[in-house]
Amino acid sequence: MVAERAGYTVTMFLVDISPTMGKTRTVQLPDGPGGEPRSTEMTNLEWALQFIFNGRKTDQCGVIVFGSEDTDNVINEKNGGYEHVSEYIPIGQPNANTLAQLSALEPSEITGDPIDALIVGVETQHRYLSSKKTWTRKMILVTDGENPIEIEDWEAIVKKMNAFDVRLTIIGVDFDDEELPFHEEDKSQIKHANETFFHTFTSSLTTGLVGNCALALIETTRPDIKTTKSALMGTTLRMGDPETRDEEAVVICVKASKATAMARPKGWKRFALRSRVNEEGEGDRMDVDEEEGGGEKKEVFAQLKMRTEYVIDTHEAEDDEGASDDKVKVEDPDEEDDSQEEKKRAEHLEKVEKEQLQRGFKYGQTYVLCPDGFERLRTRKGIDICGFFLAKNFRRELPMSEVSYIWADPSSPSEQVALSSIVQAMYEKGVMAIARWVSRDGMDPKMGVLHPVVFDKVDCLLWVQMPFADDIRKYSFASLDNLINKNGEPITKHPYIPTEEQQEAMDNFVDAMDLMYAGEKDEEGNRGPWFDPRLSYNPAIHRTKQALFHSAVVSDLTTNPLPPPHPELLKYFEPPKKVVKRARGAVEECKTLFKVKEVPKRVIRPRKDGHVRARDEDEDMLLLDNMPRTTPSPQKNQPLASTSSQQLTPSKKKPVVQDSDTETEDEDESNLLLDKKGPPRTRTRPDFLPTPAPDSPSSSSQQLQRLSISDRGRAPGRIVGTTYPLEDFRQNIKEGDLVTKAVEDLGFVIGEIVMKPFTERRTGELLDCLKEMRDVSLKEDEIDAWNDFLQELKDNCLSDPGNPDFWNEVTKLGRSISLISKPEAAKHGGKSSISENLATKFIES
Amino acid sequence: MAPYDDWNKLDEEEEDELQDTSHLESRRDVILFCIDCSPSMHALHPDPTYADLESSHVYSALEAAMQICKRKVVVGPADSVGIMLFNTTARNEGGVTGVSEIKKNNFVYQPISQISAPKVQELMQLLDAAREDPTYLSKTFPPLEGKRVPLGDVFTSCNWVLRDGAPKTASKRVFLITDCDDPHPGPAGSRLLLSAQTTLLDLTQAGTTVEPFFISTEEKEFDPGKFYSQILLPSSSLEEQDDEESTLPSSLSITRIEDLISQMRIYEVPKRALFSLGLKLADGFVLGVKGYGLVTEQKKGAYKYFVDLGDRMEVAESKAAYVDEDQQTEIDKPKIMFGMDLGATGADEDGDGEEEGGAELGYGARVVKAGSRVFYTAEEVREFRTMGLEPGIKLLGFKDRSELTFEDNTRHSTFIYPDEMKYSGSKRTFSALLKSMVKKKKFGLVLVLLKRNSSPVFCAMLPQIEKPDETGWIEPSGFHLIPLPFADDIRAAPIEEAFRAGEEVKEAARAWIKKLSVKNGAYPPDSYPNPALAYHNAQLEASAFREEYDPESFEDMTLPKVDMIHKRAGDLLKEWKRALRNDESANSHIVTTGSKRKADVSVDEAEIRSKHEADALGKLRVDQLKEFLKAKSLPVSGRKDDLIARVVDWLETHR
Repeated sequence: MVAERAGYTVTMFLVDISPTMGKTRTVQLPDGPGGEPRSTEMTNLEWALQFIFNGRKTDQCGVIVFGSEDTDNVINEKNGGYEHVSEYIPIGQPNANTLAQLSALEPSEITGDPIDALIVGVETQHRYLSSKKTWTRKMILVTDGENPIEIEDWEAIVKKMNAFDVRLTIIGVDFDDEELPFHEEDKSQIKHANETFFHTFTSSLTTGLVGNCALALIETTRPDIKTTKSALMGTTLRMGDPETRDEEAVVICVKASKATAMARPKGWKRFALRSRVNEEGEGDRMDVDEEEGGGEKKEVFAQLKMRTEYVIDTHEAEDDEGASDDKVKVEDPDEEDDSQEEKKRAEHLEKVEKEQLQRGFKYGQTYVLCPDGFERLRTRKGIDICGFFLAKNFRRELPMSEVSYIWADPSSPSEQVALSSIVQAMYEKGVMAIARWVSRDGMDPKMGVLHPVVFDKVDCLLWVQMPFADDIRKYSFASLDNLINKNGEPITKHPYIPTEEQQEAMDNFVDAMDLMYAGEKDEEGNRGPWFDPRLSYNPAIHRTKQALFHSAVVSDLTTNPLPPPHPELLKYFEPPKKVVKRARGAVEECKTLFKVKEVPKRVIRPRKDGHVRARDEDEDMLLLDNMPRTTPSPQKNQPLASTSSQQLTPSKKKPVVQDSDTETEDEDESNLLLDKKGPPRTRTRPDFLPTPAPDSPSSSSQQLQRLSISDRGRAPGRIVGTTYPLEDFRQNIKEGDLVTKAVEDLGFVIGEIVMKPFTERRTGELLDCLKEMRDVSLKEDEIDAWNDFLQELKDNCLSDPGNPDFWNEVTKLGRSISLISKPEAAKHGGKSSISENLATKFIES
Repeated sequence: MAPYDDWNKLDEEEEDELQDTSHLESRRDVILFCIDCSPSMHALHPDPTYADLESSHVYSALEAAMQICKRKVVVGPADSVGIMLFNTTARNEGGVTGVSEIKKNNFVYQPISQISAPKVQELMQLLDAAREDPTYLSKTFPPLEGKRVPLGDVFTSCNWVLRDGAPKTASKRVFLITDCDDPHPGPAGSRLLLSAQTTLLDLTQAGTTVEPFFISTEEKEFDPGKFYSQILLPSSSLEEQDDEESTLPSSLSITRIEDLISQMRIYEVPKRALFSLGLKLADGFVLGVKGYGLVTEQKKGAYKYFVDLGDRMEVAESKAAYVDEDQQTEIDKPKIMFGMDLGATGADEDGDGEEEGGAELGYGARVVKAGSRVFYTAEEVREFRTMGLEPGIKLLGFKDRSELTFEDNTRHSTFIYPDEMKYSGSKRTFSALLKSMVKKKKFGLVLVLLKRNSSPVFCAMLPQIEKPDETGWIEPSGFHLIPLPFADDIRAAPIEEAFRAGEEVKEAARAWIKKLSVKNGAYPPDSYPNPALAYHNAQLEASAFREEYDPESFEDMTLPKVDMIHKRAGDLLKEWKRALRNDESANSHIVTTGSKRKADVSVDEAEIRSKHEADALGKLRVDQLKEFLKAKSLPVSGRKDDLIARVVDWLETHR
């Protein structure tokens, strides 16, 4: 088959809109949030239309419907006949309008003939492509096959379609299909006959296919690989110095092409609901189009464009306080994590025009302006071989780039022989070459290795980039095996060193989990290795693609959510079942012998001076495992004061993740990775005391105290109990180390009490809890936590079963207990997404 | 410079963040050099590099500090450095800014501050002066004679200097350089030892790490057992302090003065984990690991944009905003939804006047029924990428080492090492797994999701056992995670057939390859500093110092050693070329098929050359010239004159 070229295809969709297509069907949806099965009803037409918009964006397509009330087609215009066939969308590139039009299609009152539509389709396509003979012609017929077809002369149509090389696919609603497998009970006579006819028809075509619609819909999500033919980039393979010693230098014209090239998910475009009322900033979506009357309300989503602005921070100049902190802080663009800082910055940000900018670099604190950049290293295009080394010494973990093929010039036999001789010699000697590659004159050189490859009929080299000295980090790690005690003597028995028994269990585990014979059977019935990169699809790419198309096709994602990913995407996500089963014994033995246990997450408290241990740098080396945890002494940390008094101490921004647990170093770390939040969160800073603090008496007494108050109706892991919630809460806030956790737990406890029967007697107490919790949330930047909590409390109270009486009591407290609004938060240096208006309304309604 | 919220950007380049560790590098690092100035440190001895010069340990230490500054400034321009000297009678006469007070016989030469050109130059001038006059340093920083300052005081001073100068969140380290292994002998020793222990603990609690560099000489071996092993909190033993068998810190660096710089270079960048994840070997069998980027491309510093505000320069940051162009409104992040570009809305041709014509709405706008949702939230989009997985590493099984091919590579690897603090027992399990895999010559196949907003990737988990290399550096034990390409990333070979070499040419090639092979070597990253980066940084430094840069002084270490190649294999190469000329296949012509329309454009080199010598290149047709240039991988753009000039150029450089 001739390769299809992107953008050179016209696909005609022939859509049956006869009344039978209006039959509704139940379509299974992915399980709901709670795992409950969901389904929706839609007409066969709606269902089948999902198949349509699924091609390349650059492909052109046209839509012809049959069974339409009117008749509007090219043949009818000229010769009459072919009634109830209409050209619905003229051939062109599909766009947003095409979709809107498609979704407006509705079953009609009249039946149409698919063969008529086919003839019209072929003719329409042919006229459009009269001068574009090389284009690919595709035809897709969507029908339920429930209506009579005039099948005379069908051979003539086949002939014509074959002559034009039209590729036909018939998508049948509930057609029998062995592959799926599917068999329709009580199939009508007509449909049965039609299905048989369609099969005969397509099998006489050069390229024809009948498929079940359900299968077709699944197949649209099957990952397919976009085959990109790599361009051949010319360059020169050199050794020695051809300029001075040409007679003994190697110069071969070669072409490079990619052997691996990272494919990325398709890009998302950004949209936002366009609101009419822009002046107020928060447009009211319900008002849109109201005055237009005439039919249902419409909303417009606008596609957004990115605009880059340049801003400077004038903060530093005006603000001298805390100079020692400031002088470095300003240099750091990551500081924005902290909400106060951000707000401050926002105030001081000043927009500058691009023309005002001068390019340059920073040398530490020193500015180095250089509008034209520095002179580049002078280099000459080509690949220079520097030497050879034994391939067995190659370190597989060092390559740092995609891999390229290096071919001899395809038009020059002598170059081919020259490269071939080198490749073969390298291959036989088992060596790789060290080489330096300059892609164009003046480009920065890269170092790498060349690896010989002998294919069936051609020899080539593979290139991969290797690190420069600058690219290698030499971190020292404690030895796993060679432990030495204080006296410098080696230790052989230690909890870190596996015992012989443990080692044996691990050996068994590794054997049991072997994948070398766990793959599919080949023709001879031998099992090969499991997992082949050539069959491992990038789930992100294909899932994103599926989601993109789905959102383009459906009219509402709420009623018609994205179906699950194609199973092909997930096939390597779990080890093969057989292997898991085989390893079960070994796994159990390993679990028993190694006793790996998750270390409880540790609670963290701040230091008084704000100095903290930097994250990540292997704090584990300094952490104590078995030491009793030191409880903070009250005088050492005054969190309530610190946020207000230390304006420059960044306060913590509540992570958006639903971390229901105590803040820990680990979460901090993952947040760091996630959010690029470099700077500190004062309260959540880990602080590791290798020994109990000097004030250990008081801390131990506190520990005792903690023990004594242990049975206060606290759920496991909760630090606030149902018995004395407010007291527990205050205690924790006073100690100051667990604010986030305390707020969260108090919220949890309140929610729990409220929903229990007979809680009126505790209403007063609960309202006190709410007031206190709101107060702390506001001051301690737990604003989001409060807002989320209150929303949830309201929802719970007002749902059934709920506690509307309690909510009523809450509303009596008025605005002061409502959501924390933007201005309110700002006053305390926090952030909120709630408008003042909303906060007021929230407590009224 | 990275725009503001690059981080939450959901664009194609998002995948890059997997490799991009710059956000970790951007964490500031602070180093306080703490140099002993005792008489023995000042003692002059023949310079290790220049035979006719004399220098002291203090000189070497300061020089090392200067080198580290110069290197750090390009790696982490936001990093800060300070220099403190002890056992000296030099005093800070109240004038040093940023330092409130300091213990006696400690001297702050440079308080902690961000590295800048003047500070580095100050240090360079000091060193130059000491070159001229080897006694200059002992005059400037007179040694404390006859006694030593208590080490506890040194640590306390360090603490103060760091407290005053270092940003709170930075990683803070003290590089302690001394040659005295027993500073406090005698009866008072135990008290001073105790005070050193306590003050060091204070320092540690403030988040500072002490990296000692002990200078050992042939005459006087440094014995850490005398004093330091008792005060330095042995890093790995701390966690099991009550354990009788606590171990010595592995990172203790005892060095000869010549190796001081190379030793320091190892510590130059603070060791930072990229992630801390669970490594799931089976259901209910999870250990903790931390990941480190041991191979990461070091790039040139990014351009910054400056604004001249008259009195000073200010760095401008770029800020990305998303706007509805049609309405000229900026959209808040939480309101942004994600969907597919459906192209221009286009005029509504059936336009029965029912609604606004599409064109009015602007590019890509989509009209939907009120209340229906056709776009995804950022959270949903993230989930399409993560496939709903939580960050972690999951073992799928083991394969033979030989299954990991050369070509299955797309980017650099990551190193993982057990994290005992997250899962106790991780180390022994990790260690046993490592040994099993090495023994059985296996690698592990794992499914990895590094972060909440990245996408899952299959990796080869390649075991590495500890082994020292020739420089004394020890390759650590651990696993390398090598990302494998997906089917989507693999491209087929575009060429399936070509002429191949006969036996004779191949043997001729073997001969010179043999001559040019290193016996036991491999690819030596250390021998190849990045020349483009070094050239750039050298110019940046000169420019910052307001010096003229001399490009001639630059040496590119990656250039092939052509003289050596010709000397060793010149004759063999000649022989190979002769064999090549005689090869049958090499002399065949490729029959081009199917392009009858094209005129014969092939001209051989000899013909072109003779035309050139006859000064008759102009007689060739443009397509012939182009064909020739194409064969030489040269550009074929431009007019005929340009083409001829290019051909002439080539002919003259390739005789």
